[in-house]
Amino acid sequence: MAPKIIVFTCNWNAYSGLESAGSEHLTYSPAIHPIRVTCLGQISPGIILKAFEKGADGVLLLGCPPGECHYEFGNRRAEEVFAEAKELLTLMGYRDEQLKLEWVAASDGDDFVEKVQQFVESVFHHKDTKLRN
Amino acid sequence: MVDSLVLYARFSLVSDKVTIMNILQNIINENRVWYCLDCGKCSAVCPITRWEAREYTSPRLLVEKAITGRADEVLEDPLFWSCLTCKRCSEVCPSTVNFSEFLRAARGLARDDDHSGTCTHSGMIQSWGKMMTNPDMRQNRLGWLNDDLKVSKDSDTIYFVGCLPYYDTIFKNLGAEGVEIAQAAVKILNHLGIEPNVLADERCCGHDQLWEGDMDTFRILAELNLEQFKAAGAKRIVTTCPECARTLKVDYPQFVGDHGLEVVHITELLAETDLADGLHPAPPASHPAPHVSRVTYQDPCRLGRYMGVYDAPRELISGLGFELAEMEHNRSASLCCGTSCWTACGQVSKNIQVERLTEAKATGAEMLVTACVKCQIHFKCAQDDPAVGPEIDIEIRDLTTLIAENL
Repeated sequence: MAPKIIVFTCNWNAYSGLESAGSEHLTYSPAIHPIRVTCLGQISPGIILKAFEKGADGVLLLGCPPGECHYEFGNRRAEEVFAEAKELLTLMGYRDEQLKLEWVAASDGDDFVEKVQQFVESVFHHKDTKLRN
Repeated sequence: MVDSLVLYARFSLVSDKVTIMNILQNIINENRVWYCLDCGKCSAVCPITRWEAREYTSPRLLVEKAITGRADEVLEDPLFWSCLTCKRCSEVCPSTVNFSEFLRAARGLARDDDHSGTCTHSGMIQSWGKMMTNPDMRQNRLGWLNDDLKVSKDSDTIYFVGCLPYYDTIFKNLGAEGVEIAQAAVKILNHLGIEPNVLADERCCGHDQLWEGDMDTFRILAELNLEQFKAAGAKRIVTTCPECARTLKVDYPQFVGDHGLEVVHITELLAETDLADGLHPAPPASHPAPHVSRVTYQDPCRLGRYMGVYDAPRELISGLGFELAEMEHNRSASLCCGTSCWTACGQVSKNIQVERLTEAKATGAEMLVTACVKCQIHFKCAQDDPAVGPEIDIEIRDLTTLIAENL
């Protein structure tokens, strides 16, 4: 099965980074499957677990940098959701690098590509060894 | 039961109405639903019927829809997914209609037709159940063990921890006990001279999947657990969760495979020891809860109505030196904690919980003791609601941790 990385992107910063990356013809891994959400604070641990349940190799959460949330507290909420999902995934034996939370500034295509590429590399770092789950 | 499942498997890819009705009729036959006298005793005691305000629903009405061939209406009835399967209706039914089992089998059928209940907690609990069907999963679920707790891989007794480490993660904000219950159980077993085996890769027992009609997930989870029980060479399984106890004891042999193991809830085991006979009342200084003298007890549905264990926990409470005050609805008439299978929680559930906590307060007890982690989580969630005040404010504890503190 083709490797699959789910990237939840906040509509206001990270997603505009993705659009910039597109219009600048920047290249990133075909394993990346971006899903735009209105605010990263809207997702829940259940949504993250669902991605893994359906076979994702990794989940990357891309939100707004501190102080830049369009809804004031969305990125703080995202941090809480991330922490809870991380604890559950750790219990289930997933590797630490399989779930990550990062911030991307608005319209920063280069940063978007850098963050997703770093994530893909860290998830598939042990490419020869079978993923734990 | 087996007949309908065979039929159900044979037609699992067909979803025309005739087939659904045929299978539903089989489920009706097997669970004595034809015997319904239309007396309405079930509706009088059903906690959902009492609080469901959207439209009138009751076990009797659902049965009527089923036996008159209205399969579509059965699947869309609000009670179909919100029924707690608390078995209160069957307790009062003069014809012993097995409503809960009927609904469980019918839910399997409904799932096959792309119906499902409304999940709670963003479906994360259903998701981790499904993720645990991966046979290669290697969990880190034993972080709660410490040097004081003695476990042994050679033991003939397995302590089945259940989802406690997971609930501990997501419900600690409610102040609910999680891994504390597991620690307490091992401490108590050690006290009795038992060093239990705890499995590093135990799976969810599958109780919720079974009662939600997700038979595929249930079977895989059960098979993975049974493999481990066999490999461990155990003779007995002790649980602290009544749902695990019931599922391992009754449903694994019925639906998956007979394991020949003795399965007991920890209260059943302890009732046979001197912990229950009050020979060792707590000295005041080390009493588990020195500020509490009077407690009341919540019968978990699986432990009480499903397994008939009413006296064991009560004896243990008395053994701790507490005065036990019974709520208005107790033992086989006990009220459910309001939510089941992490499905369909809402205003109805909250109303049931507030009603039950109000009963608990009315006894004059200073503490509500239960023997099921889910009861505790659900009641503490109701108490967490800022809209309700001191009328339902009562300390809630698990019997296992209370006993462990007294050792």
